[in-house]
Amino acid sequence: MIVMKVAFVRDRDRLHPLEIPGEIAKDCVRRRSQEKARALVVGRPASTSRALLVTDGGKADAGKVATGGRKPDGGSAQPLVFLSGDSPVERRKPSFPLLSNQTRRASSSSMDQPVPERSSIPSGENSVWTDISPLLAAACRDLEDGELIHGDNFNLFAAMSALEIMDPKMDSGIVCKYYSVDEAIENGAAPVPISFDKTDDVRCTIDIMDHLLACEEEDLFTMNYGLPLNGNGDDKCLSMLNAVEETSSRQLRAYIEPLQTNLDLEEGYCKALLCRLRFRKHFYHVLVCLRRPQGRGLELARKHIASCISELESVLSSSEFLRSSASLAWEDGLENKTTASGCQPIGFDASLNCRLSAPTPPRAIKILSWKEAVEYFLKLLHDLDILCLYSLEPSLESILNFVVQFQKSQPDLVARAHLQLLLVQDGKIHGRDPVFSIINRAAALPEATKNHDIQKNEFILQLGQLEMAFKKECGENPNMSIEENAWVKIFQHILVWVEEQTYWIASRFLILGFELELYSPSEYSMVYWYLYVVLVKLAEKIHIKTAAANGSGKRRGKKKRDTPKDAAKDYRIPPAVLFLQCQICLAEGLTMMLAALTNEHRILQSRSPFNTEHERFIQHFELLQKASIPDHIAYPSFKASTSYARFSNLLMYNYFKDAQRIAKEVKSSFSNEPEKLAELRRLEQVAEHNSIAMNVICRVGTLDPSLKVSFEFNHHPYFATAVVKRS
Amino acid sequence: METTEKKTEEEERKESEKEKEKEKAEKEEELSASEIEYVSYGGEHHLPLIMGLVDSELSEPYSIFTYRYFVYLWPQLSFLAFHRGKCVGTVVCKMGEHRNTFRGYIAMLVVIKPYRGRGIATELVTRSIRVMMESGCEEVTLEAEVTNKGALALYGRLGFVRAKRLFRYYLNGVDAFRLKLLFPSPVLQSSLSMLTDSDSGHWHNDHIPIEECSEVH
Repeated sequence: MIVMKVAFVRDRDRLHPLEIPGEIAKDCVRRRSQEKARALVVGRPASTSRALLVTDGGKADAGKVATGGRKPDGGSAQPLVFLSGDSPVERRKPSFPLLSNQTRRASSSSMDQPVPERSSIPSGENSVWTDISPLLAAACRDLEDGELIHGDNFNLFAAMSALEIMDPKMDSGIVCKYYSVDEAIENGAAPVPISFDKTDDVRCTIDIMDHLLACEEEDLFTMNYGLPLNGNGDDKCLSMLNAVEETSSRQLRAYIEPLQTNLDLEEGYCKALLCRLRFRKHFYHVLVCLRRPQGRGLELARKHIASCISELESVLSSSEFLRSSASLAWEDGLENKTTASGCQPIGFDASLNCRLSAPTPPRAIKILSWKEAVEYFLKLLHDLDILCLYSLEPSLESILNFVVQFQKSQPDLVARAHLQLLLVQDGKIHGRDPVFSIINRAAALPEATKNHDIQKNEFILQLGQLEMAFKKECGENPNMSIEENAWVKIFQHILVWVEEQTYWIASRFLILGFELELYSPSEYSMVYWYLYVVLVKLAEKIHIKTAAANGSGKRRGKKKRDTPKDAAKDYRIPPAVLFLQCQICLAEGLTMMLAALTNEHRILQSRSPFNTEHERFIQHFELLQKASIPDHIAYPSFKASTSYARFSNLLMYNYFKDAQRIAKEVKSSFSNEPEKLAELRRLEQVAEHNSIAMNVICRVGTLDPSLKVSFEFNHHPYFATAVVKRS
Repeated sequence: METTEKKTEEEERKESEKEKEKEKAEKEEELSASEIEYVSYGGEHHLPLIMGLVDSELSEPYSIFTYRYFVYLWPQLSFLAFHRGKCVGTVVCKMGEHRNTFRGYIAMLVVIKPYRGRGIATELVTRSIRVMMESGCEEVTLEAEVTNKGALALYGRLGFVRAKRLFRYYLNGVDAFRLKLLFPSPVLQSSLSMLTDSDSGHWHNDHIPIEECSEVH
């Protein structure tokens, strides 16, 4: 049986009870238990269907509330129970703070005035707390089953944010033993000092250091944000760290009074303490170095990263000593422990933290184990190290490539944030180069553009897209001035460049769907088909751009560096295009193979009672379709290209064989680019496996009903490999 | 919100080796399926049943206000499944205007463990979707845990696509997929049949219904 509880807090101002913040709610409970009931909690066991919400100060509200409920005939309830005009709000991640202004005011005003009893919520001027139990009880008696009194702003969000006080699933405060750090110290949960026995004190301090490393949520590591550890700012923190480190290392060398009393343990404790302190110090330096403008601290950051890693290794190896000296026999290892010693750290209570977060239901905060925390930092340091290797080359292509490469190791929020800080500082790339000049170079604009007025136009990109219209207006005009001519030239360059970027982004968008697992196998065919169409366009644009750049006679940019044999080169397809061509063949091959499987073998089909493949196509590619990327491409074009796919045709024109051939040919052009070479190898593997799979299907498939074909991503993150089995 | 119908390993194994047992299993399913009675939400006496199922089977805690919000405003979209008088499953939904679209939303879908894998969840949710379709919804959405293979397969069979991935959406820290089912638009349908008649391969569709794509989450 669910017990319905309602809280009402009397205050001058209106306070929606559905948004009663945790603080007040818990305070109500406390007051009740202390029998100082100025605010009330009404529990009505056994009346599951009754609820009473009061939106304002007691009796004043009696006229405002609306009731409604079950029809007398027992039929369905009328919607008038909930006020109309409120658009229901869909559920979102309930992370926003719901503390109303009153609460903030209430808690801040509590500092100003003497508060009788132990209370954090004063009644405020001109108002007093009053017992409204009889009023609520009377109101409850008047309610029928299913009736609800509610405020104007009762919507889904309000409903979902409601707290049911005294329900442990909802009320984070109910499980608390104490309500502040002071109380925890007072009742011995967090004693200060930890122990008068110096050895115990050191042991527990190390546990606390370990636990602090582990106990915060992944994206809330305060260390990673480099937040000041105390109110005096970072300088003080660093000098304190240095001082303590100095003392500890002297203790280790037995120059001064030992760290603790047991001499046998002195070295081990000193070492354990030192590596933890040093890790903290170097980590702090890493963060400071990374924040230096224009990437100037990257080199030094790498040195500190190396130090951090070596200190972390010492931290890891200190575990054995700490476990043995803890004199506790842990049978089950360190799997779920948050300390190197395996001991429970003193003074931590997760439920206390619950009270500090928004008044949502108690959130299960997953605390990393000590091992996981150390691994987390090792991974983070590794990602940051990759970041430090970044070349700072002011080329758009290399920037975009670096971002794509960087993502492959799935760096977490902290590492990604540092990359972003590095890329754009003060509105400039790497804090040095204006974005315009980077684009200028990337789009292979004529040199003269650098000083052209166009720089002043912040809508340059949008203008570029209007180039077609512009051309119609004045492009055909033979009497154009030199100035106008320059504009046309710039726009032509920019248009090609904008299109190239657009198709590149479109291809990334489609690929991201694989990484996020948004596609089901029955949809692969249309996804590969769309990817194929986009890649063809992308290759086309790159080809045009390269041809234009070669034709202009000016040798600029990265592409041209490796062209000693220029004359022959102009007639060749650029390697970048061939590279894409290889992916195009794979995408087309997979499209056709999947389509043939559906057409001939009736597998990978999806028949829905409510819609068709057409609707799923619209849903997956809606964004691209709305932006006409590319033009004149829609579901019927997909059907036209795939509905006649048969394995007999696929054998005649073997896309996978083509992909293999191109991959082999183009390799030599990328001998200096290991990432591209690796990608080519992956593409080659996918092509090879799929080529074989297709032969197998053709040989036995059409006759064999037990043929099972599935698709796996074991050779490439988004080009699938067909796996053929007979069951 | 959420959905149960998680597939156990055993059930998955069963599916992979179903060839021989298929007929027998189907007979069994049919037998039990005929014993399941589906009822539209009928009033307060159903509320404790729904709350009991959801509370015990889903990870998110919902207040009584949440339940009432749904069942009072859209009783026609909520269904319960009974087996010999025992409530074994329920679906709770809503519908309304959402950024120029009239859309349905499946809030909670629960079938208790011993009754899973018998199509009860499919039947419950199909009934709700049918009412939404008849009420003029253009699409239906819901969220499901990325780890809930059973639910994802169920909705996949009904034509839902995974529209986006919501990072750490649930209180337990698990990501969610936002699933969407787009109903065929009448305009689109007639254009399509025209297309088949004319057999034109380069028909450009400009009647794609506008649907919001930039939800905050």
